[in-house]
Amino acid sequence: MKFIKNHLMFILPLMAILLGIEFYLVFDRTTNSYEKGLKEGYSMLVVTKKPMKLSMFQALNRHISSSEKIKRENIVSEIAKGVSKNSNKEILAALPYFYNVRLDSYLSTSGLEKIKTDLEKDKNVKKVETFGSSYSSSYRLFSFIKFTLKLFIVFMGVVSLFLIIKQMEIWKYAHKERMQVMEIFGAPLMLRSGVLFRVAIVDAFLATLLTTAIFLYIKFQWAANSGIDIMMQNKTELFKMTDIAILLVSALFIVIIAVYSVVFSSKGVEE
Amino acid sequence: MSNVINAQHLTLAYDGGAKEIIKDASFTIKKGEFVFITGPSGSGKSTLLKALYGALKPTEGSLVVGGLDLASVGQSKLQELRTHLGIIFQDYKLVNEWSVAKNVVLPLMIAGYSVDVQNTQAQRLLKHVKLSEHADKYPLELSGGEQQRVGVARALSKNPVVILADEPTGNLDDYSSNVIWDLMENACQQLDTTVLVVTHKIPTIFSLPYRHFIIESKGVYEVH
Repeated sequence: MKFIKNHLMFILPLMAILLGIEFYLVFDRTTNSYEKGLKEGYSMLVVTKKPMKLSMFQALNRHISSSEKIKRENIVSEIAKGVSKNSNKEILAALPYFYNVRLDSYLSTSGLEKIKTDLEKDKNVKKVETFGSSYSSSYRLFSFIKFTLKLFIVFMGVVSLFLIIKQMEIWKYAHKERMQVMEIFGAPLMLRSGVLFRVAIVDAFLATLLTTAIFLYIKFQWAANSGIDIMMQNKTELFKMTDIAILLVSALFIVIIAVYSVVFSSKGVEE
Repeated sequence: MSNVINAQHLTLAYDGGAKEIIKDASFTIKKGEFVFITGPSGSGKSTLLKALYGALKPTEGSLVVGGLDLASVGQSKLQELRTHLGIIFQDYKLVNEWSVAKNVVLPLMIAGYSVDVQNTQAQRLLKHVKLSEHADKYPLELSGGEQQRVGVARALSKNPVVILADEPTGNLDDYSSNVIWDLMENACQQLDTTVLVVTHKIPTIFSLPYRHFIIESKGVYEVH
């Protein structure tokens, strides 16, 4: 019982860190894909006096990734039904040029305003229409969630790391007698601390295994039946097999740092 | 014969030099000598032993063991030196979660000997200390005398150059005490091992020639 308790006291904080790392990865991947969707669904309407090429837009602002000319003929046919062909031509000649302009990234309202100002600096540009307000509120909410989640993950990671080091000190105390005797007989530091490394590495593997199991369950059971669009659409992003390697390397890195910090923070035990 | 231990104007102290235990002591011990160190309780016998295996650095003077000055030796050299020492403690200092056999071969394990060699040596040594049938037991299953014999077997397992023993027979019955003295005498006689024993009382029946130092009033004096 004591054995299990000792290991759980180490595995649980380590799992908390690994869950944090995995949540971060999953959230980052999912939000990136969501951001991509938002970015692709968002465009600005630019009205110009003369035709403009993409390079001309990009020269005004580097965030512009594409421009699509809106066919003026369609507009004329809509607004000038029943008008003669000659009049049609005159209307067409008098009409400015319309462009759907898309951006390369998901920008804040101030970013959008900057693009608008940059475009309006060109005398050829008559009007720029952005759809800032609905965009801004979802962007702010999105940024806030991202920030708080990252903050929470960092905080949880720090607290868990302290718990791991504390548990390592308890182990060291439990193995003190053995390490002391080994030191007296000339065992080098790595040999007498070997037991701490072995236990910590085994627990790192166990924590990785448990965290993987949790995420596989989330991916194949919970997310698939959650009814949450973003989860169901981005199911493949939820847990990738490469994440197991990331988690294992992180777990091993954390436990090795923790063992080293405990082993090297103490002087010779027999004095 | 060469000097195995050489102390010159040695001062040993605790609390950063504030509490002097031994002051300005000079003595030499040669290879193959059997030495008793006696003195009243608290005189500094165990402190001197600690200094000899490098657990306490000299405050002043020099203390050379096996050619290494323990006042200035680095950690890796000290570890190397300790692998050539056999240390016996009054409180045995066995690893209670290890079997008797594993305790005995600890110095071989540290030196990197193969498991086969360790097993062979464990059997031989345990037979030597008359504990063959207890190889798989744990130290706390043995009596005090038996535990001390395990401690002696461990100290002898790698044929050390020097045996340092701190009250090895304190609180032991006559049988265990005699076995331990025999083992140390044999090591000294047959393997030319230097044996340094800290004790309250020199055993009445002792067949080997020996030197006797007494620690008193912070000084180390040889009794002739």
